[in-house]
Amino acid sequence: MTDSNRRPPAISRRDLLRTAGAAGAAALVPGAVGAVREETPETSPTASPGAGPAASSSRAETAPLSSGPLANLTARETEILSAMIDRLIPSDDLGPGALDAGVVRYIDRALSEAESDAADAYRAGLAALDTYSRYTREGPFIDLSTVDQDSVLIDVQIGAATGAGVGFVGGSGSFFNMVKSHTWQGMFGDPQYGGNVNFVGWDLLDYPGVRLGVTPEEQRLLEADQLEPVRRSAYDYGMFG
Amino acid sequence: MTTQLRETDVVIVGLGAAGGVAALPLAEAGLNVVGLEAGTWLDQRDFAPDEIRNNYRDWPMLVKKAEQERPTSRATSATRANQIGGHPMMNAVGGTTLHYWAQSWRLNPWDFRVVSETERRYGPSRIPYGSTVEDWPFGYDELEPYYDRVEREVGVSGQAGNVRGNINSRGNRFEGPRERDFPMPPLRWTAFHDRMADAASSLGWGPFPGPAAINSEAYQNRPGCGYHGFCNKGGCPINAKNATHITTIPRAVDTGNLRVITRAHVTTLEVGSDGRVTGVNYVVGSNEYFQPAKVVLVASYTYENVRMLLLSKSRPYPDGLSNNHGQVGRHYFSHHQGAGVSAFFPYDLKSWYGLPAQGVAVDDWADDNFDHADLDFIGGGNLWVMSDRRPISAANMGTYGQSRNWGSAWKRFIHEHSDRTHGSYIQKTTLPYEDNYLDLDPTVTDPLGLPVIRITGQFKNNERAIAGFMQDKMEEWYREAGAIEVNRGGLGNTMGASTHAYGGTRMGDNPETNVVDRWGFSHEAPNLGVLGASVMGTSGARNPTLTSQALSWRTAEHLVDNWRDIAE
Amino acid sequence: MKVSLPVFMGAALLLTGSAATGLRGQEPMTFIVESPTMTTGRFMPRDYSPDGRNLSPPLTWSGLPSGTRQLAVISQDYGAGRPPPWVHWIIYNIPGDAGGLPEGIPFDPDHPMPPEISGAVQGNNGWGLPAYRGPAPPLGTVHNYHFAVFALDEELDLPPGLDRRELLLAIEGHVIGQGDMVTLYERQPMNQFPR
Repeated sequence: MTDSNRRPPAISRRDLLRTAGAAGAAALVPGAVGAVREETPETSPTASPGAGPAASSSRAETAPLSSGPLANLTARETEILSAMIDRLIPSDDLGPGALDAGVVRYIDRALSEAESDAADAYRAGLAALDTYSRYTREGPFIDLSTVDQDSVLIDVQIGAATGAGVGFVGGSGSFFNMVKSHTWQGMFGDPQYGGNVNFVGWDLLDYPGVRLGVTPEEQRLLEADQLEPVRRSAYDYGMFG
Repeated sequence: MTTQLRETDVVIVGLGAAGGVAALPLAEAGLNVVGLEAGTWLDQRDFAPDEIRNNYRDWPMLVKKAEQERPTSRATSATRANQIGGHPMMNAVGGTTLHYWAQSWRLNPWDFRVVSETERRYGPSRIPYGSTVEDWPFGYDELEPYYDRVEREVGVSGQAGNVRGNINSRGNRFEGPRERDFPMPPLRWTAFHDRMADAASSLGWGPFPGPAAINSEAYQNRPGCGYHGFCNKGGCPINAKNATHITTIPRAVDTGNLRVITRAHVTTLEVGSDGRVTGVNYVVGSNEYFQPAKVVLVASYTYENVRMLLLSKSRPYPDGLSNNHGQVGRHYFSHHQGAGVSAFFPYDLKSWYGLPAQGVAVDDWADDNFDHADLDFIGGGNLWVMSDRRPISAANMGTYGQSRNWGSAWKRFIHEHSDRTHGSYIQKTTLPYEDNYLDLDPTVTDPLGLPVIRITGQFKNNERAIAGFMQDKMEEWYREAGAIEVNRGGLGNTMGASTHAYGGTRMGDNPETNVVDRWGFSHEAPNLGVLGASVMGTSGARNPTLTSQALSWRTAEHLVDNWRDIAE
Repeated sequence: MKVSLPVFMGAALLLTGSAATGLRGQEPMTFIVESPTMTTGRFMPRDYSPDGRNLSPPLTWSGLPSGTRQLAVISQDYGAGRPPPWVHWIIYNIPGDAGGLPEGIPFDPDHPMPPEISGAVQGNNGWGLPAYRGPAPPLGTVHNYHFAVFALDEELDLPPGLDRRELLLAIEGHVIGQGDMVTLYERQPMNQFPR
C-alpha cells in the first residue's frame, strides 16, 4: 500500500463520533473518497485472460462520499455503532480503519437492500450494548475509554453480557457476530456496496485487486512481490450491468 | 386448469450437470426432447467477481424453488430432524455447474468393486458392519469410453497418469487406464503448489495436478481460465468454466430437437395402469401443465429425484413411483468431505488468484491404493491442495491463538498473515448403510404443501476412522512443506445435506436392492430413467460430477440404441 | 449467603488432588494466597466480573518456599466446563520476587505488564483469550472461583498463549509450592439506573 493513498483522519476520533450523530454519516469520513470509477483507455475486457485493464495505482481526484442521513439507524444508534466498529477495526498507524472505510454506510445500505431482517437486531443490540456499558462501566458506550470499550466488547463477544439482563436478544454473542460479519464485509468487500472506501480494506490485506484474467507473468510478478495492485470494483468492468 | 401439451419423445426433468449432458446425445439422435428446468438462463454478465454477492448473499442461488424445498436432516431415527439452513444446489439452466468448483474426476476401478475387492484382499468380515454396499453392475472399463466422451464434449483439463497401461508419473499412477490423454493440459500451478508437490515427493508420494471441467487453454471457442479468484460459488465471467449451459445444452438446442422450458417446477410424474410413466406435471407461475412423454428422465439432483418418486403415488405404485421394493431413498449417503485440516505458514502463499480446481492431488491414500491389513477401515481419501482466497474470507481466518480476532493487534496480524493460511477438505470413501436413508418429512412442506425430503444420515466408524487417518496424512504433508501450526476439524457425525449426495435410486442388477438397472432405467417402470449421483452406490475419494455425467451419456445412448424396447 | 464448609474442602482437594509433583517427587508445600479486596470464602466484588469493569483482581502471597524462582496463576471454576474446570485466567512467567499481582492486568498486548511483574505473559483461558475474564455463572447460581498459585523452582521461559493443560504439563516437576484462594460469585441482574 502506497502512502499517497492514505489519508489520516482530519479530526480526532472522539469528535468524529460526536458529530456523526448530529450531522449524519457524511461527517464520519472527512476527506474520504467514494468508489473509483476510472476512465481508462481500455473498454470492457475481452474474453481472453490477461487482456484486462492495466494496473492503476495512481488515480485522479474523485467525488466525495455521498452524504445524507442513514436510512435505517437513528443518530444515536449511528453514534454507538460507529464507536463499536471503530474498535473492531481501528484507524491507526497501519492505516485507515472501518470508519474510514465507510462500513457504517455499508451496513445501512445492507439493511435496506439485502439484510432487512437484521434491522431489529441492530436496534435491540445497540441499545443493549449501551445499557450494558452504563450498568457495568458507569457510562454510555461512546464516552468510555478505548480500553473500557474493548473490555465491554470482549464481554459482548463471549456472551457474558447476556447474563446481565440488559436486553440482548438471543445472546450478546450473536449481536457481536452479526456486527463483526457486516463490518468485515463492509471493510473487505467490493466498494460497489458502499464500503472498502478508497480500497483501504484491500490495501490492509495487500490484496492485489479484482482482475478478470491473471496471466502467468502476473502471477510470477505477484510471487516476486512486484505486482502493482489494481484498484477497481468488479463493477468498473463494464460487462456486469 | 391443466394444459395438456403435445406428447414428446423424452422429457428431462432438470438441466443441470446430468440432465444437461444427456440432452445432447438424445437431441443428436433426432429424438424430440423437452428439458424442464425450474431455474432460468444466466450468462457471463451475471457473474461479477463479487465476494459479497457470491459468498455472503448467496447469489446466484436466488431462484427460490430449491430454497423452499430445503430438506430436513437428522443423524439417526432417534433424533429430531431440523430443516437445513440453506440449500446447497441452485436452479438454473446448467444447474449448479454454473458456480461449482468444477473438479472433474473419474472414479478409480476399485470404487466399482468395493465388495469383491475387499473380500478378495482382506476377507468378507472387513466390509463394515451395517453397510449395504454392493459392487456396481459393471466395472470401470465399461464406463471409460463415456468418461472419455464427456471429457471432450464438456471440456476437461488434466494430466493423464495411465494411458492404456503406460504410466506417466506426472499424472495419477493409481488411476484406471485411459484410452487417451485429456483434451487439454492441466491448469497451471503456483509456486506454492510446486512447493507442496515437492513436499509430497519428499514423502515418497506421487503428486499430480487435478482434473477440472475448466479450460486450461482456448477450447471450443471459449477462452482459457483467468484464475481471477472468484470461482468458488461464482459463475465464470469469461465462460472458461464448462457448465452445461455453455457446452452440451446449447449444442443440443442447435440440433433443433431440444426445447428448454425455464421456470418449470415439476411436481409429480404420471403413470398409466400398466405401470409405465406417461408424462410429467409441472407449473410455471400459476399455470399448470401436463407434458406427456414416451420416456421420462429425472435429473433434478439426488434429493429431488427421490422426492419426485416418493410424491408420485399411484395405484400401481402406492408407496411412490418405482418403490414397490421399498428401495427409493435407501442406500443414501453424502460424501464425507469434512474433518478438514488447516495450516499456518511462515510465508505468503500468493494464492489470491486461483481456483478450487487448481491444485495438487495425492491419491496414495485413496481407495485400496495402500495395504489395509493392519488397519480398522477400508477405503481412504484424496488429499487435495487447492487455491482459494478472497479478501473477506482471508480477513476472517483464525489467528492461531496469536490475537483476539479484532482490534489493533488483530489488524497487525492480518496485515502480516492474510496470505499465510491454507485449508483442506478431504474427500473420503463413504459407504451406504442400512440406517442412512431419505424419506418424506412427516411435517415440513414446501409452499405447494408437498413434504420435503428428510435426510437420516450419520457417518459410521469406517468413515470416522478414514477421517482420522487422512488428517494424519494431511498434517504430515503440510508440515513437510513448512507449516508451523496445523489444526484439525472434528471427525464428523451427522451427514446433513451436501453438494455430493449419492444413492436413493441406486443402480444395480438386483431389483430387491436397487431402483434402476445397469443402464439407469427403473426396474419397475421401464420407461423411467434416473440421471445423477442418486444412482451411484459408492463415492470413491472424489467428486461425483464427471461420473454422473458419464453415466448420463451412457443412459442416453442406451435409450437411443434401444428406443423401441424402452419407449414403446 | 452463608459460606458453607464444602468450599474449603474443595480448596483442599485442589491442592492434593491435582497437584503437580515437586522436585524428586516431594509434595509441594502450601503457602498463603490473599487479596486486599477479596476474602476467601466470600463473594468477590462485581468489578472483577462482567457485571462490572471485569478487571483482574489483585492477589498477594506470602510464605513462598525458598528457592522460588517464578510463579504461575490459574483462575478456574470447577462447576463449569465440559469437562471442568472452566478457566478464567492464566498468567505465568511471573518473577519469583513478585509479592502478588496488581489489580487490572491489561488484556491488550499493546499495553505493557506492570513493572513489578515485568516479563509475565498470559495464556489462553476457556474463551481462548489471553486475558482475565471474570465470573459469568448462569443467573440464579453461585459458583466458586479458585485462584491457584504455583511456585516454581526455575525460570521457565514459556511462550504466551498456553492453555491450562499445556501450562500444567510445562511446569510438571517444577512446582515446589502451591497456594489457593476461593471466592464466590453470583450474577446481579441489571439495575434500572447506572451506579
